[in-house]
Amino acid sequence: MPEKRIVLRNCNAIKPNRISTYLAGGGFEALSKVRGMSPEQVIEEIKASGLRGRGGAGFPCGLKWELAKNSEGDGKYVICNADEGEVGTFKDRYILERDPFTLIEGMAIAGHAIGAESGYIYLRAEYHYLLDSLMKAIEQVRKRGFLEQFDIDIREGAGAYICGEESALMDSIEGKRGEVRYRPPFPPTKGLWGKPTIINNVETLMNIPQIILNGAAWFDQMGTERSKGTKVFSVSGDVERPGVYELMLGSSLRELVEDLAMAQRVKIVQVGGATGRIIPYSMLDTPLSFETVLGAGAITIFDESRDTIDIVYRTLEFLAEESCGKCAPCREGTEALVGILSKFSRGEGESRDIVVLEQLSQAMMLSSLCGLGQAAPIPVMDSLQHFRDDYENRIAEKMAVQ
Amino acid sequence: MSRISGRISTQSKDQNNLLVLLEEAQSKFGCLSQEIMSELAKSVGVSISEVYGAATFYAFLSTKPQGRNVIRICKSLPCFLKNSELIIESVGREIGIQPGETTPDGKFTFQLTNCIGACDKAPAMMINNEVYGDLTSKKIMAILKACK
Amino acid sequence: MKNIAITINGLQLTGREDMTIFEVAQANGINIPTLCYKSELPPIGACRICVVEVEGSRTLVGSCHTPIAEGMVVHTHSPKVLATRKVIIELLLASHCGTCFMCSKANMCELRSIAADLDMGLPQVPTRRLYYPVEDVSPYVIRDLSKCILCRRCVRACREIAKQNVFAVAYRGFESKIVVDFDQPIDTDVCRDCDVCISFCPTGALSRPSKVTDEKKGRPLIICD
Repeated sequence: MPEKRIVLRNCNAIKPNRISTYLAGGGFEALSKVRGMSPEQVIEEIKASGLRGRGGAGFPCGLKWELAKNSEGDGKYVICNADEGEVGTFKDRYILERDPFTLIEGMAIAGHAIGAESGYIYLRAEYHYLLDSLMKAIEQVRKRGFLEQFDIDIREGAGAYICGEESALMDSIEGKRGEVRYRPPFPPTKGLWGKPTIINNVETLMNIPQIILNGAAWFDQMGTERSKGTKVFSVSGDVERPGVYELMLGSSLRELVEDLAMAQRVKIVQVGGATGRIIPYSMLDTPLSFETVLGAGAITIFDESRDTIDIVYRTLEFLAEESCGKCAPCREGTEALVGILSKFSRGEGESRDIVVLEQLSQAMMLSSLCGLGQAAPIPVMDSLQHFRDDYENRIAEKMAVQ
Repeated sequence: MSRISGRISTQSKDQNNLLVLLEEAQSKFGCLSQEIMSELAKSVGVSISEVYGAATFYAFLSTKPQGRNVIRICKSLPCFLKNSELIIESVGREIGIQPGETTPDGKFTFQLTNCIGACDKAPAMMINNEVYGDLTSKKIMAILKACK
Repeated sequence: MKNIAITINGLQLTGREDMTIFEVAQANGINIPTLCYKSELPPIGACRICVVEVEGSRTLVGSCHTPIAEGMVVHTHSPKVLATRKVIIELLLASHCGTCFMCSKANMCELRSIAADLDMGLPQVPTRRLYYPVEDVSPYVIRDLSKCILCRRCVRACREIAKQNVFAVAYRGFESKIVVDFDQPIDTDVCRDCDVCISFCPTGALSRPSKVTDEKKGRPLIICD
């Protein structure tokens, strides 16, 4: 299956600093259409399309909007999560650089649907250089009168991966440390400043205008049973052609990795970044979908020269550094996992360490307060499942030396 | 930068804007001194502890003085696979300090950072707000030379 | 307010709709251990010791902050729950300073008492221990942050009950620390004699200065790794 450009259709086709080029290609027609529809109709359309969140969790978008719409209270918010911090992800940057208008239109449609008057784009500090062009794009849209019922402001992060987690993101917008909140209540009921709030990934919102224009049925016939539409992937690592690729959901990992990105001698593909799955070469025919593996679409490729334990160790080091520190299992657990993995990487691992790794992983997955702590053990568990020999060989080597 | 200052002046000095105000102070003064944090605490009506707590949470805010050019080299896996360690070495050699340090003349602060979303141009780094990708030792010399 | 029927450990119980699982359990004599929750303070769900199994839920849920729902089936002491609590306590003990035998909190320590209830052995996990100098400049409170488990009860008690804001959490992740001002030892400028935080501390991290003379105070115990 070749690339299929829906989300990226305007990228490199329009001028990101000229709204006229966006309007010439049918820009803001979806918003005009939506203004003639009731919020219920818009939400029905999004629900029927089967669109699910592209930030990693895959929550049904229409359902999220419906919950927020039905929540009582005024002053609702739409937040666009542009805190793309997952290791190996850069698709949102690519989109923000090339097509800010579709995103703005998507947010305005969301605002109409849930009855919000204002929205925020939460932009990560590392993308500060995009701030100016984004502000200018918003200003152009405002001048054309498309933001009269719903206006957008930008809030910047200050260097914290955890702020991509929706509750930490809201705390950060509220001016605080970006720490995770317990749920329920969920944001559509009680979100930013206690108001009903929806938080959508950049890519999710990019799909909205096309769904409105072409109809839910058009979107619903693409992809798999429970994964509709396309997905934008960020491909990096040991490949000939790193970059951003948009594929129909359900396409195989092999197609993306070997055919498009031209990787050779693949050993491991990490799908979904630091908290993502570790896929061995033998499973390269796995389809990319919410039913199988997906995450936010970070695809990092490791060739045969790479060491599995080193990969897992470095991944966990990242997560330990980025844990917000609020809940005990994540704060202490990521640190402990790093401690054990560093033993292995120094060649000092013991058999009982594998047992401890598994016990720790299990407890963290079950009890951590948010997705970071719950998913942090995934690289450990996956590598123990597919590459247990690598751990055991290290132990054997150590025994041999003694 | 000027745009941000412009925006802040229209923002009320309340608790909800603490992070925005910290970000503004960081970019204006290069670091969040105790004096600045005390002042902010007073003007937004929170305790000094809370301001310090927020300031130390975020990697891009610094309570210690920083050089005019803050170099942040990405140490995450996609860059590591493209030999970021060589780049880290080259930069260290070139400016004579280790990650975490600032040159005595206040020209450079050298840090390692997590994924900056430039994996398609790995190895990559940031100097202040600018991203530099596809780095080589040779390229680095030229980039560092251009820093004021 | 509406009454809601739930099942805890096989018992049919009812609670008001604004109650949490923890509150319903407690009201019915089922003891769920916790290190961060106190009924006088707003819940934060930080220690995760109070997690329980709710049928149909992918993960365990924090009982101190999860409201009850009609028909909920809860297990507070299932094997899965106990194994998880044990790991969390083990993690906390691993980075805790481990000088129980000379800690004035002794058997009043909630961390130690939960560890005893769970039949804990010595921690297996290799974790760094963070040692901080004891802060004993204030005549009202001694802080020994090597014993702090970051439950944040002091932060909340100071804010909610003493109506002050002396403490805040600073730094991030494993380096997180409860600080005063710019991470300075607590002194009389910021804290008056109210004792509120001390009464909420589950460990020996906060204590009242005992009336020993200076020469009896001695040097803090230093353990070399």
